[in-house]
Amino acid sequence: MLDMETKPNGPVAAVFVAAGIGSLVLGIFVVLNEVSPDVISKFLRFDESYGIGKGVGPLSGKVVLSVAAFLVSWVVLHLVTRGKEVNFGRWFGAALILVFAGFALTFPPIFEFIVNLFPAAE
Amino acid sequence: MEFTDREIWTVGHGLVLGTLFLLAFGGGLAGLYSLNARYLTEDGIAERTPRLLIGSVVMAVVAWLTVISGTFVVYPWYRAAPPEGIDRAVQSDALGDFPRYWLLASERTAEWHKLGMEWKEHVAWIAPLLATAVAFAVIYYGAQLVRRGEIRRAAIIFFTLAFVAAGVAGLFGAFITKAAPVA
Repeated sequence: MLDMETKPNGPVAAVFVAAGIGSLVLGIFVVLNEVSPDVISKFLRFDESYGIGKGVGPLSGKVVLSVAAFLVSWVVLHLVTRGKEVNFGRWFGAALILVFAGFALTFPPIFEFIVNLFPAAE
Repeated sequence: MEFTDREIWTVGHGLVLGTLFLLAFGGGLAGLYSLNARYLTEDGIAERTPRLLIGSVVMAVVAWLTVISGTFVVYPWYRAAPPEGIDRAVQSDALGDFPRYWLLASERTAEWHKLGMEWKEHVAWIAPLLATAVAFAVIYYGAQLVRRGEIRRAAIIFFTLAFVAAGVAGLFGAFITKAAPVA
């Protein structure tokens, strides 16, 4: 077992980056929801528009879109990297940057700081 | 002694699933860390791999169940708006049935919503994404993971970040529930 050949790492690199993309998309919509309460926040109310989660409000759109971004990017990246050996360090580094960006954008002091850069959002 | 529907759901969301998540995290992390060719014989690897698989898959499934139940069942109770006639500026007993508004009615408690709930409701959703990536890596490689140190280390980092995301959400959830229970 210790001497066996291993499978190519492409599909694993793909899912790690896809998780990062899902995290970043979540963070981006958290910010956009605050920046544009009249347009984007209204768009994100999937509970009212599509009946997904009655009473959940804009959070329904944010989580549906971030999960969709994760799944779609996972499928696309999986197809791109299937059967390939990639530079895993580089892919994982990109995934970590995306995840940390997602973490940061969901943190209220950070997204409020960004929102304050857009006076129209006040 | 009896429980309301809300109490059952909040206990299931926070306590039952939270405990399972912690157990799965502990088992999965120990499994990933110790799946090292320097420490193990072939028999040892064969014995540990199924446990690692169960730990990582259970953590991913529990993470999804936790955020879905929290967002689509418990959160609407927290977020519900009081009807006309209830003063939103005073922390009255009547306003106590509407936790978000009760917290915002006083500067002393408003940060539990503005910082705690605003972060919790979002950051929690990062946990299942990361846990799913780790579960896929474990399923994909199985025992071969012992030969893939860089992926094992990456999985440990993602696993830990998933735990941090869930931990932030769980901790704020516990404090907010204590300040303004939905049940």
